[in-house]
Amino acid sequence: MFRYALKRLLGLIPTLFIVAIFVFFFIHLLPGDPARLAAGQEASAQDVELIRKDLGLDKPLPQQFLRFTSGALRGDFGKSMRTKRPVMTEIAERFPYTLNLTFAAMSWSVVFGLLVGIISAIHRNHLPDHLGMTLAVSGISFPSFALGLLLMSVFSVGLKWFPTVGADTPRHYILPAITLGAGVAAVMARFTRSAFLDVLKDDYIRTARSKGVAESMVILKHGLRNAMIPVVTMMGLQFGFLLGGSIVVERVFNWPGMGRLLLDAVDMRDYPVIQAEVLLFSLQFILVNLVVDLLYGIINPTIRYK
Amino acid sequence: MRFPSAKLLPCIAFALAAGLPSAAATKTVVCAVAATYTSLDPYDTNATLDQAVCKSFYQGLFGFDKNLRLQNVLADSYEASKDGLTYTVKLKKHVKFHDGTDFNAAAVKANFDRVTNPENKLKRYSLFSNIAKTEVVNDATVRFTLKVPFSAFINQLAHPSAAIISPAALAKYGKEIGLHPVGTGPFRFVEWKQPDYMKVEKSPNYWKKGYPKVDAIVWKSVTDNNTRTAMIQAGEASYTPVPFEQAENLKQNPRLDVISSPGIVTWYMSMNTAKKPFSDLRVRQALNYAINKEAMIKAIYYGYAEIAKGPVPGAVQYSANIGTYPFDLAKARKLLAEAGYPNGFETELWGGNNSTAAKAMTFLQQQLSQVGVKARITAQEPGQRVELLENVQKPEEAGVRLNWAGWSASTGEADWALRPLFATSSIPPKGLQNFAYYSNPKLDGLLQKALATTKAGEKTKIYKEAQEIIFKDAPWVFLVNTQQVYVRTKNLAGIYLMPDGSMNFDDIELK
Repeated sequence: MFRYALKRLLGLIPTLFIVAIFVFFFIHLLPGDPARLAAGQEASAQDVELIRKDLGLDKPLPQQFLRFTSGALRGDFGKSMRTKRPVMTEIAERFPYTLNLTFAAMSWSVVFGLLVGIISAIHRNHLPDHLGMTLAVSGISFPSFALGLLLMSVFSVGLKWFPTVGADTPRHYILPAITLGAGVAAVMARFTRSAFLDVLKDDYIRTARSKGVAESMVILKHGLRNAMIPVVTMMGLQFGFLLGGSIVVERVFNWPGMGRLLLDAVDMRDYPVIQAEVLLFSLQFILVNLVVDLLYGIINPTIRYK
Repeated sequence: MRFPSAKLLPCIAFALAAGLPSAAATKTVVCAVAATYTSLDPYDTNATLDQAVCKSFYQGLFGFDKNLRLQNVLADSYEASKDGLTYTVKLKKHVKFHDGTDFNAAAVKANFDRVTNPENKLKRYSLFSNIAKTEVVNDATVRFTLKVPFSAFINQLAHPSAAIISPAALAKYGKEIGLHPVGTGPFRFVEWKQPDYMKVEKSPNYWKKGYPKVDAIVWKSVTDNNTRTAMIQAGEASYTPVPFEQAENLKQNPRLDVISSPGIVTWYMSMNTAKKPFSDLRVRQALNYAINKEAMIKAIYYGYAEIAKGPVPGAVQYSANIGTYPFDLAKARKLLAEAGYPNGFETELWGGNNSTAAKAMTFLQQQLSQVGVKARITAQEPGQRVELLENVQKPEEAGVRLNWAGWSASTGEADWALRPLFATSSIPPKGLQNFAYYSNPKLDGLLQKALATTKAGEKTKIYKEAQEIIFKDAPWVFLVNTQQVYVRTKNLAGIYLMPDGSMNFDDIELK
């Protein structure tokens, strides 16, 4: 398993390199001239040229690419074109906020989703199932900006239980975590339910029941463990998405995280920030997937890594 | 991402709401503003908001009051030479920067030498590139010599970017000055926590006795309109600009004052006068007659706008209130028929991709369809607009036909309301915004002549003629001037959203 993990980690390098090439050339293909965007409406052609020089955009593209890759290898992603601060500083300041919020949202939504999913599966086509799935469908279809604003207007403006914006204390995390986790909880519930229903049809469940194992043990020991594989896969995917920073939730709650950074960067065609963020997202996804793969082995010891 | 409606935030009456927590004890004011800051170096940013919050710690020689009238700030008086080439400015004495160094003529010179040196690559380079040299006459007198006469020079010095930064700090921080501002203003810089807030506190050695009247201001960047509204309703902020559609709702709240004031933002639809069918004056006039501006004000701006009376909004200096093209469909159809388009024509309508822009463009499309003009709408994000409008290299290649946009003359003076939009020299790709590809040598001459004269009476006359020419030639469909709408809690006074979207908070006070 250790060798497998190492091999996968080494495999990261070519993947990230390919991603870097794609990102670099794709964002340069986007319409929109960062120098002119940075210069603003009132700027003259002269200003734009000065800014172009200042940002290093006057150099030929291959040279810019070389500078980007050689810098990236040394962990230097350059300076943000928008704020002129090092990209690493920009990301380092925001990443913890997104990470914490992701954990806060995932922790409640996974537990909640699993519970609802299991209960729905056990009581298939009965009231708990209908209730659970109605909740799940609402969770998926209710847009998160609307949910965020609704929660804010009820609990911050109306009841004054929680602050509207900010990210300093645990109380600040509650509303954004609920908003962000709602969709995940819903997806998890539906996934758990269908995985469970599949598993409950299997022979070994019938065997377990027929040899007199208590129903709760059947569900938890035989059912849950086998249903976990698809559920963990989904969990990993969701986790990876949330780590990218939710643009919508971060905007509504003015959360100082990665999503807003990306939004600002794309608006201003802030190439260095976009590049670094996309690379980071890819890295996160690959790592999360690796962890998920390793979890498979723990859940199901018959899985072998080669 | 824009959110479709404000109705999600039900306005609940907050009779029970007490005053702001913590505000009373230390007199800290939290102001929620609509964007994140890019730089706190006023010479290296073009965002109105950056420059507005920079007024906490920076001051210029001149400035604008809340109604955009010129006033002396660090200057005591000035004198312009007859030829309009040199300006001698007398400075206030006994003013100190926050780092304890003296404000004097040498400091002024250091700042203008910095921005006029292209090697510093500052974003405001061209705004000040007309300065040939800045000289120290004596400690309290400084003389500017211009390359060409420029009668709006004092307005230029009043522009919020023309701040006086401590030369000692400039030497100390170099290119990092945007992160460590040191000025002469009422507040000194405490911290800038990106992207959350920027905090300033009362400067103990502020030269204007008795000011500022609050201990600290926290400038919170909150991009989402609905979130800012929620903050002020929850008592977490005391000041915020609000979108038009939320103003009525907030008026119901007894703790809040909703304030609207005239703005200098003019909204227009430019027509590419170099291309058919807009090269025909009758077509351009027809389109001006075809739009019901009254209805537009009601539908898009919830009443917080006035019909534009010519190219220059009334609050701008030397605005002439030329008149309007009344809403007259019969006349519009007749003019189109005379021009050879009795059944109208098909064309493109471009604009930004925010929700107000989308609504306005849909409205214009519907209005134009009444005279048979079928406009295809394209909502463009900022990068696309730059590419398709400003970076067009040859006029023949311009894809723009109708373009919906707004302009705010940040110097508060007619020159900046006209030249960037109508002068031949402002046609892309030279920068600036003449997307009508309008070129009239007579107008160009008048604009130059106005800059060369320093006599107010003569300038008024020249600018009136210029505005009449533009109104007659109709390179735009002249639409509306929007107001500035903002909300304050009732215990806060002395902070204003200015006509140009900047802020004035010289007198900010908590009651």
